[in-house]
Amino acid sequence: MSKVWFVTGASKGFGRILVSQLLAQGNKVAATSRDAASLAEFSGNDFLPLTVSLTSEESVKAAIDKTISTFGKIDVVVNNAGYGQVGALEEVSDKDARENYNVNVFGLLNVIRQVMPHLREQRSGHIINIASVGGILGGFPGWAIYCSTKFAVVGLTEGLREEIKEFGVKATVVLPGYFRTSFLGADLSVTESKYQSVKDSIQWHADLDGKQPGDPEKGVAAIIEMAKSENPPLNFLIGKDATELVPEKLKGMLDEINEWKDLSVNTVF
Amino acid sequence: MDNKKTWFVTGASKGLGLSLVKQLLATGQSVAATSRNAAALKEAVGSNSNNFLPLQVDLSDDRSVALAIQSAIDKFGQIDVAVNNAGYGIGGSIEELSDAVTRTSFDINVFGTLNVIRHVLPFMRQKRSGHIINISSIAGITANTGWSIYAATKYAITGLTDVLAQDVKEFGIHVTLVAPGAFRTSFLTAESLVMTDTPIADYTAIRNSHAKYAGMDGAQAGDPDKAAAAMIQLVNMPEPPVYLLLGSDAYQRGLNKLEQLAVAFKATESLTKSTDY
Repeated sequence: MSKVWFVTGASKGFGRILVSQLLAQGNKVAATSRDAASLAEFSGNDFLPLTVSLTSEESVKAAIDKTISTFGKIDVVVNNAGYGQVGALEEVSDKDARENYNVNVFGLLNVIRQVMPHLREQRSGHIINIASVGGILGGFPGWAIYCSTKFAVVGLTEGLREEIKEFGVKATVVLPGYFRTSFLGADLSVTESKYQSVKDSIQWHADLDGKQPGDPEKGVAAIIEMAKSENPPLNFLIGKDATELVPEKLKGMLDEINEWKDLSVNTVF
Repeated sequence: MDNKKTWFVTGASKGLGLSLVKQLLATGQSVAATSRNAAALKEAVGSNSNNFLPLQVDLSDDRSVALAIQSAIDKFGQIDVAVNNAGYGIGGSIEELSDAVTRTSFDINVFGTLNVIRHVLPFMRQKRSGHIINISSIAGITANTGWSIYAATKYAITGLTDVLAQDVKEFGIHVTLVAPGAFRTSFLTAESLVMTDTPIADYTAIRNSHAKYAGMDGAQAGDPDKAAAAMIQLVNMPEPPVYLLLGSDAYQRGLNKLEQLAVAFKATESLTKSTDY
């Protein structure tokens, strides 16, 4: 069944593969990039390339208006744009921390803010936010800023899902493990660290680059499959590594919460 | 055991921060406390103790925070415990809250906390000890209808705390996320909350949820003095937890959330695992 998709950060990684698979399956796709020229490999009447600065609400609004005027509606929105920032928290400057938030959080919010009037009017739609397994667990030394942006996306998606339910609009947050994209390569923002644990983590991730277990073609196929569901999940993990890391984390949190129960509950009047 | 410590507490003119500062001073601890308005802070705390250093700070300004921490170090020689308590609730759908008003809430709830951590850590690393307590909320573990942006800010704190706790372990520094449920503070009052000023009639679930919260003000189960006491207990423990829920409501909701997540992830396990090479 052909649908209209709006995909941000479409020039590489998951975004690029998503556009490719969606077009191959006969969907209509509006795709954003900082420079639409980077989307030149795609063409045809079902494809709308858009130059967008996600941190500019006017730019985002223009892109969504253009999509509506071209395809008549938007069925699925994929907030895919984002990048990693690694470095010890005290070493990442306020400026660099805010820049990571600009793309990973505030850009995504601009899209939601501008697309919601259309989805409410349609009384249908699905917003898919791409976060990370690092949005559920923080077991990644040196990734505090990045994880905090992705935790933020997980939290706001959970709230969003409830606030738009009455309009028949759905929301899902996708939590990928390690996939073989340029995330750990050219796209990664690295702040040199004096911390041994952070240095080790930066090296470990550099070594992992190119050897990540996740196949982005399959990851994208899983997202498309999930989006076909009548009742899509709120949190959607992708990657076998994610299924190993997360239950262990949840169990650890549960154990800790129970261990400290007395101190927790003895605070009521 | 020497329980006399130096504390740095943000957002201390009301709520949990104020309860904490009063208890700390009453037990002879040294306290540097911040507020947007030092005069209001002094009046609220009502102490002439030499152990009390009230500081007027704009937490969203990296320089202002750096100066405040330096003042605390100059006066007390060290900071043993930093409590990132400043923060406020922001209500409305994502669509009803502008980019500007959203960013302002992140300025205080997230970037202010980052600024404090950035400037306090060099001192704590140097003395190979310290405890950073980030006050999040149960909304940083499970979101409430009508408070998506607030949840985003508090989830962000949860995430950065989780990572930070491991990153600074090698220096002997503890980090704890405190996630309170509903406490009887001024949190839910009109002066404290920021609510959308452009409500859209369509959002009935949000309006109902907000009405429910407004009705709860003054009847919250949690006692802020007991929350402060729990935090003081926390820093005296040799192995403090990374996560500490406060309030029986927070305990139950935290437990429910983790159990729901485990079940939900199990339900999509085969699709999740289908994506490896």
